[in-house]
Order: sequence, then C-alpha cells, then structure tokens
Amino acid sequence: MLWLALYFPRLAIEIYPPQSPCVAVEKDRICALDTAAAEAGIEHGMRLASALGLSPGLIVYQRDIVRETQALDALACWAGNFTPQVSVVSPDSLLLEIGGCLRLFGGLPALHRQVLAGCAEQGWSVQAAVAPTPLAAYWLALAGEDAMVQTSHAIATVLAPLPIEVLKFNDNEINRLSSFGVRELGDVFRLPRDGLARRFGPQLPTLLARALGEIPDPRPWFVFPECFAQRIELPAPVDNTQALFFVARRLVLALSGWLSARASGIDTCRLVLRHHDQTTTEVTLKMAGYTRDAKRIERILRERLDRLQLAAPVETCVLIADAAQALPGSTDSLFGEVAVEALAPLIERLRARLGEDKVGGLAAVADYRPECATAMQMQGRACMPHSHDRQRPLWLLPQARTLPEVNGRPHHAGPLQLLAGPERIESGWWDEDEIHDTHSACGDVRRDYFVALSSRGEWMWIYRDGAGWHWQGIFS
Amino acid sequence: MSASSSPLAQVLQRADVWRGRLAQVSVEGEPSGFDVLDAELPGGGWPRGALTELLVSQQGVGELSLLLPALARLSQTGWVALIAPSHLPHAAAWAGAGIALEHLWLVRANDAMDAAWATEQVLASGAFAAVLSWLPKANAYALRRLQLAAEGQRSLAFVMRPTHAASSSSPAPLRLTLEAGQADDVGYLIARLIKRRGPLQHQPLRLMVKRPLPLARLNKKRITHLSLSRRQPTMTDVLLK
Repeated sequence: MLWLALYFPRLAIEIYPPQSPCVAVEKDRICALDTAAAEAGIEHGMRLASALGLSPGLIVYQRDIVRETQALDALACWAGNFTPQVSVVSPDSLLLEIGGCLRLFGGLPALHRQVLAGCAEQGWSVQAAVAPTPLAAYWLALAGEDAMVQTSHAIATVLAPLPIEVLKFNDNEINRLSSFGVRELGDVFRLPRDGLARRFGPQLPTLLARALGEIPDPRPWFVFPECFAQRIELPAPVDNTQALFFVARRLVLALSGWLSARASGIDTCRLVLRHHDQTTTEVTLKMAGYTRDAKRIERILRERLDRLQLAAPVETCVLIADAAQALPGSTDSLFGEVAVEALAPLIERLRARLGEDKVGGLAAVADYRPECATAMQMQGRACMPHSHDRQRPLWLLPQARTLPEVNGRPHHAGPLQLLAGPERIESGWWDEDEIHDTHSACGDVRRDYFVALSSRGEWMWIYRDGAGWHWQGIFS
Repeated sequence: MSASSSPLAQVLQRADVWRGRLAQVSVEGEPSGFDVLDAELPGGGWPRGALTELLVSQQGVGELSLLLPALARLSQTGWVALIAPSHLPHAAAWAGAGIALEHLWLVRANDAMDAAWATEQVLASGAFAAVLSWLPKANAYALRRLQLAAEGQRSLAFVMRPTHAASSSSPAPLRLTLEAGQADDVGYLIARLIKRRGPLQHQPLRLMVKRPLPLARLNKKRITHLSLSRRQPTMTDVLLK
C-alpha cells in the first residue's frame, strides 16, 4: 500500500474568498494565517490582540469547524477522482490510498502532479507527502516535507529529522519529551519502547510501530454519500455570476470525484442558490448523456451562469445530484468511429446556449398531413424509406403561404406550371377539436397537391383547398 | 478544318507549352455523385476540411439535391448537421433521399450570431462528416472563423448564402453559384465555379440533379400544360364541393 497524505494548513481561512492579510482565530488565539500575515510577524498560537498590534488591517475570521468539515467532505469527494479509498483525518487532512491506481494515472510523479494541480485550481494550499504507511505520510505532510517514500525500510530514515510536534501531543507531553533532550522523531526511535510505554502510556510505542509499518494501521474509509448534496455557505452575499462560478466549480469538482468513486454518471443536476431573503433560484444543468466529466459539467455551468440574472445576492450555494446511474468506464473505439457519446459534449453545449428544444434529430411520423409527418426529437430515429412513396419535398414552409389565382392558375412570380397532380390528401378528422388547444394538431384537411414549377425555376409543392391555392413545400 | 492543322492546336502540341491544369490537391475530395462536377473540383469532389460556399437566390432549384448523393453516402456512417435552415425539414423526404435520419442533427438558431457560433462549434468538434449551414448574413470575418474551424478536420462544410454575396470576398476556397436552367435547360441545375483552387473555370456546368419527376415527362408536360391547367381547377373544385 502507498499513501498520499494531503494536509490543508490554511483550510480555516481558505473556506472564505481570498483576502489578505487574514487569520482565523479560535479561543482568541491564531490557528491559521496566510502568507501576508506571516510576513507581518504573526505566528500560530499568538493572541489576537498581539496580532492586531502587528498588523492593524488584519482580516479576522472566527474559526468555523462546521464549514471546515463541509469543505473537507467536498475535498474527500473530489479525491474520489483518484482513488475510491479515501480517509479523512479531522480536522484538516486527507489520506489517499494510491497504491492501486498509480498505473492508471501514469505513475507516482504524474498522479502527485495531478493531485497538487487539482488542489491549486480550487484555491487550496496543500502540503503533500507519500509514504507506505498512513501515519508516516501524515507526519511528513504535517512537517511540510515534500517527500515521496516508497519502501518501508526507508521510513525511519526519512522520519528521523521531523520535529516531535507532528505527534500532535499536548503541550505537557511535548515538554516532558523535550526535557529528555528529545527534539526530533529520530531521538524517540532511539529510546527503548518499554520505557516510553511506562512514561507516556502504551499509545506512543503503538504510534511509532504503526508509522514504521511494524503493526497494521487500519483506517476508517470515507463513505461516499448515497446522494450528492454539497453546500457552500458564502461568507458575504455574492451578486455577480463570475464569483458564483468560482464557488460552484469547487462543488462540480467534488461531484465529479463522488461520481468516479461510485462508478456512476449523471445526466442532470441542480444548483440551488439561496438568497438572503430565504428565496431560492434553481439552475438545472442538463447533460446530453450520462457523464462524470467535470469539464463537461463545468462548461454547461458556465453557459447557464453567464445568462443568469440574479434577482438578489446569493448566500448559499448547494449542488444536488440525486439521480446518479451506474456508468462503467469507457473504452476507446478501435476503428475511430464517432459514437453518440463522443458527440454528447458538443450537443449539450449547443443546447445550453440555444435552448433545449433547438437541437435534435428528426423522426418520421405516420401521418398523411405533411405538417404533422415530422417530429423533432432529442435524437434522430431511423426510418425505413418506402420506395412506393410519392415525391415529397425536403423542405416545408413553417406556414403554408397563400398564392393568388389569376385566370384559374396559381401565381408566384408569374403563372405556375402544374407538372404533377392532383394528389388528394384528406385526413385528420380526429384532432379537429384540439386545433386550438395544442400546436401539434392541425385539424381535418382536404387538399389536392400539385408539383409546380415557377418561371424562375423553383420547384414547389402547392395545394388547393376550399380557400384557394397554398404553397407548402420546396423541392430543394 | 482538322484539329491538328488549326494554329492553336499546333501551338498546344509544342513541348515547351505548358497548359495550366487543376492543381494537384493532396486531400482527396468526397465524390459529389456528378461526374461533370467532380472533373472540375480540385481533389475530384467536395473538399474536406474547407468551406464550400453555395450561392443560391431561390431555394427550390435543386441546390440540396446537388449535395444529396454525397450526404446520403456519408450519413450511413457519420453525422450530418443542418444548422439554421430557413424552412422545416420533411423527415420522410430526407429518409426517401437515402439520408440515415438517426445520423442527422438539426440545429435551429435564434439569430445570425447564434447560427455562426453553432456552426463554428460543430465544425471545430470534427465529429461530423458533413455540415450544412444557412448563413445569409455572415460577413467575411465570420466566414474566416468558420474556415479556420474547418481546417484540419475531415468534415465537408457547406455554407448557403444568397447570390448577391458572390461579389463580396470570402475566405472559402471553393465557391459555386447555382441557378435553375432556362429555356432548353429547364430541369437542369446550372453551376458556375466562381472560385476554386487552380485555374478559373468560366464554363457553366449543366447538372442533372434529381427532380420530382423525370425530364422526359417534364418536356411532355410543358407542351400539354395549358390543357392541364384548364382541366385541373375544375376537377378540384368538383372534389371539394
């Protein structure tokens, strides 16, 4: 097994939108700070009053454990993109078991790079380390060592220079260890284990044995929830969609990880924006097919948010996906044919901008009335051509156009020559009464159709009914 | 006068006279189904990965029937897109013309800008075997974007524009005006290549595209149309009343 530990040192402040310098405080003491605050001389554990003294313009957030947990859960979901075996170490770290997925991502350096790039993209600072035991990886990440240890016998050497603070003992115990002259983990390793057990209880030798891989270290796996509903509470109301996109993107990345870990896909998800007056705006993102590709979902999100008019500033943003379907991994086609799945990202992009009903395929409907014989569908449907069918025009005018009659002949830029016909079409008595209720009904028709040629060489499909001559189709 | 004795023929027989021929295009074109046309098109057919402009003033002269042989063949294995057509397609007729409806996509646009945008997206995806786009208001800038999107792909890209656009410049490497044949050519489609890669070709091409009824019958009807038109209205009147 190989573990990748991700420690988010600034989780407490990065759950808020970027502002600088800023700190998070817990019980009046600094628990997280950004680079600008550190440059001003502020340190961990400092009193807030002293920090404000060093940097009067400091932005101070109260530490919010609930939001941090939400953010860490979202990150755990996102980590599902890489491995289904994720373990959350409260309050600010993740452990990813990556031994089984190195090959899929092209080796350890490539995977490591992808994970770090993913964190940076979402705006999280991270310290990462790789080791064969979870505890060793965690300690290395806490200490900020960018180490990649792949063999068990190297663990002790790499851990030796780490400060004993990574053990996360309380101050009292750290002081006792220091009083023996112990500064680094290497010093602890050199001490006899039974003596340590007597002085600090059996916990310390167990920790050391687990870190060195001498005894197993079982970890509770993060359970990917049945339904995805992650929320982000915005610290200040947001009224521009650009900022909203930045926030919602984190949710989309988490969603994609959650789907990967569950080997599922979605074709629709909802982004619920809650305004400060408790009203909500719901944006439904529709995909052309089941997918778990974050890029695809993101593109649709951007198209939808670009055209969204916010009625009021947004306070909370929730992404809900409750209809996930099992979606097995895809295989590349052998002969390069383009399947409808490959087309789906394009189709849904067109639909997101032009409208759902503007992009589709055709299906022939068994109806003699020409205006009812074609249905626009989400995708085209095969139709057996009937060789005995009479000639039909490729185009129909959206509305049949009335043609004037001169000397008993229809006119369109001059008299029309009638070349074939009449062909009687008489049908549709059944929806005569629905003609005013639905658009698809066109009522009872009795028409005589002719193929006509105009003086300009246009081939037209015209008909005559009780009201006169009408132009309905074009033989293009 | 025999051909070999004419002064022009004698000049042409000289070894140091080079006659410009169609430029050898490395990309093989998609046969249009009309031998007369294929002989004049660089690459021997509709070019792939480049815009082809079809300039038509009146729809219904057979401009789509010109493309149908190629479209019918391509639609069996690849995708075909119709973008922003000015009329509604009649599914049965398209299926009857041999187009596989399950491979046909129809994109309707709200305005000219959306139509150009959708065409660019569809061309750039490279997933379609043929793209037909109706862009009556497109300017040279929009067409250049489309030409760039089409380059490097294997799609056939047709842009339909009105005939008066022939006078404005266009980045499309192949441009044709299409009109209905008059007098002796009734029933034929007359195509003029106003721009192509290679030497100019001024001779209009007489193409026999598929029409609702065969030409032989058409000529017969022309003679008898007067009697037909006298007879028909009375008959329909009887039927309707």
